[in-house]
Amino acid sequence: MKFSKKIGYFIALVIFLILTLGPFLWTFVLSITPEYAMMEKTTRLLPEVITYDNYRELLTSGTQKGSILITGIRNALKAVGATLLLGIPIAMMSAYALSRMEFKGRRLIKNLLLITMVIPVMATIIPLFRLFVARQWLDDVFWLSTVYVSSYLPMTTWLMSNYFATIPKELEEAAQIDGCGRLSSFLRIILPTSYPIILSAALIMFLNTWSQFQIPLILASSLETKPVAIVVSEFMTKDSVQYGLTAAAGMIAVLPPAITALIFRKFLISGMMGGAVKG
Amino acid sequence: MRKKILPYLLLSPMILIMGVLVFYPIIATFSYSLKKWKLTAPNDIHMVGLRNYAAILKSDSFWYSFQNTLFILAVVVLLTTVLGFLTSIFLNIDVKWSGILLAVAMLPWALPPYVNGILWKFVFSSGYGFMNKAVIGLGLAGKPIEWLSSRWSLLLIVSLVVTWRSIPFTALVCLAGRQSIPGGLYEAARIDGGNRRTIFRTITLPLMLPFLAIGITSTSVTAINVFDEIIALSGYSDLGKNILVESYMTTFSFLDFGKGSAVTYLVMLFAGILGIFYLRSLNKEVEY
Repeated sequence: MKFSKKIGYFIALVIFLILTLGPFLWTFVLSITPEYAMMEKTTRLLPEVITYDNYRELLTSGTQKGSILITGIRNALKAVGATLLLGIPIAMMSAYALSRMEFKGRRLIKNLLLITMVIPVMATIIPLFRLFVARQWLDDVFWLSTVYVSSYLPMTTWLMSNYFATIPKELEEAAQIDGCGRLSSFLRIILPTSYPIILSAALIMFLNTWSQFQIPLILASSLETKPVAIVVSEFMTKDSVQYGLTAAAGMIAVLPPAITALIFRKFLISGMMGGAVKG
Repeated sequence: MRKKILPYLLLSPMILIMGVLVFYPIIATFSYSLKKWKLTAPNDIHMVGLRNYAAILKSDSFWYSFQNTLFILAVVVLLTTVLGFLTSIFLNIDVKWSGILLAVAMLPWALPPYVNGILWKFVFSSGYGFMNKAVIGLGLAGKPIEWLSSRWSLLLIVSLVVTWRSIPFTALVCLAGRQSIPGGLYEAARIDGGNRRTIFRTITLPLMLPFLAIGITSTSVTAINVFDEIIALSGYSDLGKNILVESYMTTFSFLDFGKGSAVTYLVMLFAGILGIFYLRSLNKEVEY
């Protein structure tokens, strides 16, 4: 690079990093600032005294707020587990049928599935709320997870079926001539070649489930089902807001998805793109 | 015979879930929207035809939130498209740490939108939050500014936070588009004597249009469905509500299921029209 270009790149890099990471850094600063220092009328950015009390309070299950946050994290993880166990096999089966089999109604099913990709949650939530009340499912992570799955299936099925369609049909036919059944040719040919896209779909399901707010706001009524984002929101609306504690809770809530995104970035990008850009 | 049933068998769990949890509720919501139905008056439920819709279209509250939705939509789509495109040019520059930068760029997309809203609320908080420290420190203001207490300033900040979360997707789509343009095209243009501006105008821009279309339409759907960030930044107050918040409040705070369902249907109509453009842009093949 030429010198002037290098300077330009450096400026762009700094702006990019400040705008992307700034809010995280500022929230982190707040989370280690003592509560009294937050009210000080000063333009100094960093506190004179650093405290880790907020993290200590949140990560010991003995305290009230700590146990609520930890339960919220556990609830979110339970929902992630249920979503993956249910969502991945169903998406795989549907994608396989839609991409590699000929049958009546295929186009119709594919189109109906795609249309649901753009339907807002609110359009389905009122009857679902009634259903959940009537069946007493409001305290049940499993049924909550099935609603999540219904909102991920269109995207993940589309993602996988685009990928399956690129695997040459001849490979499967050759295996079937050699005496493999449909199931074993699926297990031996399709599955091993498409593990990257399955991982991508799983990552998307994980991140989305961790992020859920609007659906559990309505369908998760008790401490036993509320996921982490809802718990953070309750820290924010309680009578006496403790900013430092809320900031620390926010940092804890973004850590798992942030680390996952950094580690699996390649799979995540192909997941984001696979649904949007063909092949 | 077995062969003919197999695809339907494979699809049956998906059809069951989508049928019970998506398609049935959509139809049921429509039937609710035609009823007078308040949870506060459970014995007085009856058909009223389109009267709920008429009442909503006459209420100031609906048009207030509709304006807010349009404002957020316009600002988010404009900013996301411009900034997403610029980010893709930045990310396309090959340096040692390109992979890490790409991962950092994705973070706002990967994290809970509600928590994103909280992070930005701390930046713009009314006392001595980051922004106020900055504007006072730089001498731009004498005392702290109430960023989140007036309508347009609040909506602008909501739009900025939503833009922040939407940029990664648009940037990555643009990046994919940029990298799919064959290098040979540029070489040929250069041999023909094209300068940088003509090359950008005649090659880069037209070939990237389909990708920009995917970004723009997907961003529009996101911008209409904003909910988490508004709640994070302004709570359940009326100030920054869009039609989605209006629908939530009507249904679950004022317990008016009939009207709430009708508002929801109006949102869906609006989102659906844009959604169809999105699906069409997805299905378009790019040819060179």
